[in-house]
Amino acid sequence: MSAFQQGMAPIRAMEDDSDVEEEALVADYQEQVQYGQDDDLDGLDQAALAQAADDLQARLLQAAQPLDYQATLEAKFSSYDNYCSLFHYILNSEGPVDLEPPSYYWAWDVIDEFIYQFNTFSTYRARIARQGNNEEEAQLLKENPNTWGCYSVLNVLYSLIQKSQIQEQLQATKRGEDAALVAGPYGSKALYKMLGYFSIIGLLRVHCLLGDFSLALKTLDDIELNKKAMFARVMAAHFTTYYYVGFSYMMMRRYADALRMFSHILIYVSRTKNFQKNAQYDNINKKSDQMLALIAICVAFQPTRLDDTIHTALREKYGEQLLKLQRGGPESLPVFEELFRTACPKFISPVPPNFDAPESNIDPIEHHLSIFMEEVKTNMFNPTIKSYLRLYTTMDLKKLAGFLDVKPEELRSILFVNKQRNKQIRWNEGALLEGEWVNTSDLDYALQGDLIHISEAKMGRKLVDWYLRNLSRTYA
Amino acid sequence: MREESGKGKILDGFAQDPPSVAFPPATHPSSHITMASTLNMNGEDPVERPQQIRDIIGGLERYNPQAAEVLEAYLQQQCEEKFTDCNANRALLKLYQLNPDRIKDEIVTNVLVKTMTQFPSPQFDLALHLLSPSYSNPGPGSSSDLAEAVAKLRTLNSHLEGARYDHFWATLESDDIYADLTTDIKGFEEIIRVKIAQLISLAFREINISVLESYLGLRSEAEVKTFVTETCGWKVGDDGIVHIPKNSENEAKKTEIREDVSIDMFSRVIKRSWEENA
Repeated sequence: MSAFQQGMAPIRAMEDDSDVEEEALVADYQEQVQYGQDDDLDGLDQAALAQAADDLQARLLQAAQPLDYQATLEAKFSSYDNYCSLFHYILNSEGPVDLEPPSYYWAWDVIDEFIYQFNTFSTYRARIARQGNNEEEAQLLKENPNTWGCYSVLNVLYSLIQKSQIQEQLQATKRGEDAALVAGPYGSKALYKMLGYFSIIGLLRVHCLLGDFSLALKTLDDIELNKKAMFARVMAAHFTTYYYVGFSYMMMRRYADALRMFSHILIYVSRTKNFQKNAQYDNINKKSDQMLALIAICVAFQPTRLDDTIHTALREKYGEQLLKLQRGGPESLPVFEELFRTACPKFISPVPPNFDAPESNIDPIEHHLSIFMEEVKTNMFNPTIKSYLRLYTTMDLKKLAGFLDVKPEELRSILFVNKQRNKQIRWNEGALLEGEWVNTSDLDYALQGDLIHISEAKMGRKLVDWYLRNLSRTYA
Repeated sequence: MREESGKGKILDGFAQDPPSVAFPPATHPSSHITMASTLNMNGEDPVERPQQIRDIIGGLERYNPQAAEVLEAYLQQQCEEKFTDCNANRALLKLYQLNPDRIKDEIVTNVLVKTMTQFPSPQFDLALHLLSPSYSNPGPGSSSDLAEAVAKLRTLNSHLEGARYDHFWATLESDDIYADLTTDIKGFEEIIRVKIAQLISLAFREINISVLESYLGLRSEAEVKTFVTETCGWKVGDDGIVHIPKNSENEAKKTEIREDVSIDMFSRVIKRSWEENA
């Protein structure tokens, strides 16, 4: 088992901007895929060697295994118990337990599966309560309100983060110091360090599922989103992180940042597509489509030039919808709704539903959607307004209102909204929540009574690139 | 009942003695509002936040149900001293989200009204996302006082976000429930009025006094005159046109986005030419 570990572990220090790194990641990913296939074999070998150790190792492997989709309620309960006792053992033994993680990506798989089961259990429980036609299961769920409880799940994730001192370690690395010095007895072990690290990503996800988008982003304060980050070595983790970060940004109306996240990961996926030939492939494909839908939404809020690869994919997948979104107006509302539903995470409620009043249990998706749609409605005339304003340098408010067939007062509000929304916080450096107020539109205007003065920002020529290219050609 | 093997005892941080509720007065009480305050402050992390609150929302204490009392008292302080700490208030809503038995209706509505004063911003929405759907989107036949109040506040907020300021004031006047909901927030109307004036100054060079009257929710042109000259420092012309001083936002100047050139971009060229010559 340790040989297994050594093959994967060394973290390479590489140049930030090199393609070498990307290739290494791809190679790494191929490794993972192959190792994944060998998992069972390896487990058997261990069994022959030491019975007691095997028990634990088997449990570690078990914890990373997906629960069958159609598992019974009993199985879900017992899976929860298994996680509890495993985490209890890992966290509350005397001192750190002496176990090696079965593989580099094992810790991600465990946390991922743990949260996935929490998510599906909560959804299932809510559905049983809403439908109110399964007395037996409703009764069982009602009697065990704490199974897969939100507090327990948060507790596990926070405890793993604390025990491993992963935040201190990451902060030290950021300062350019040796993380091992602050790792402590637990955090210096691979098992704890990995679990702690991926628990941070897990928290990002749980907060987002509960609708706490700013706390979700806050959770990632110590993790820098770049190719050198630890999560980037596990494809699924890489992917998940960018999805949830992007989604959280979108819900905070930071569309430029959301687009940056989705674009980054989709370009990355398209470059490594040839290597995804296993079960993960379907999953990644599905999530890619979801992110394309979110990109469509963000672009509608804030017209942006996209990377060619993404633009093509977007047009193929959601071309028709995108046109409707970009046109705006009331006709765009159902499209926004449809795309949001397909692409949002499976939101959950942190507390058990009310089994005695089925109709009082609202699907959390409806809740978050309705809040989101409010903002969509507020902005739905922005595209029309912009397309008109581009044509003039001055314009009378009443005349424009006539063109648009709205009252002058309404138009004034629309102009106001559009101008206010052109200002957006955009990330520049530092933690994810930080950023600066920037103008996101090249169109600006001001009102002098009923006279609209319009100005468009012009892009100056970009000369540095040209100059550098020619310099190097001349001197080559 | 089944046994909960690991639950609740893994970590100590979750259950501690209740922290004390007393607050030192905020270091920078912003007891009056001026036009100088910029839009950039969207009440996320105000300077007035005391250390005790910083500790709670920055650590695991934010999950301790007992911390709710401290955060509630802090909200009270915000209401009286006219500043807003949306981040801390969300921590409070989060505690309610996890411990529904602790919910206090008037605290929830006060948080919403406080976040509303931060318009235009996602703050109100972010708070709303943390409420249980049963308050923000009650199912048929399961409405409650709180759900009704939340619905009312959402309407009010949508007028502010949609820049329909005249509708905002009309709605506020239309129902006594609004007076009840905003009564705890000291100077609520004044805060909103000043904010609207700020937003107007970022979009208008000149504006008709009658439009201002409806936007600011004032009852006569005389009131508008007093407000814009004394609070905003704007000039009112004889023709009923209010002149707003120039600022970077209400000019709509033609700009050319130019490339930022820094020496770093040329570092490789310079390095190479230097090395080749050496």
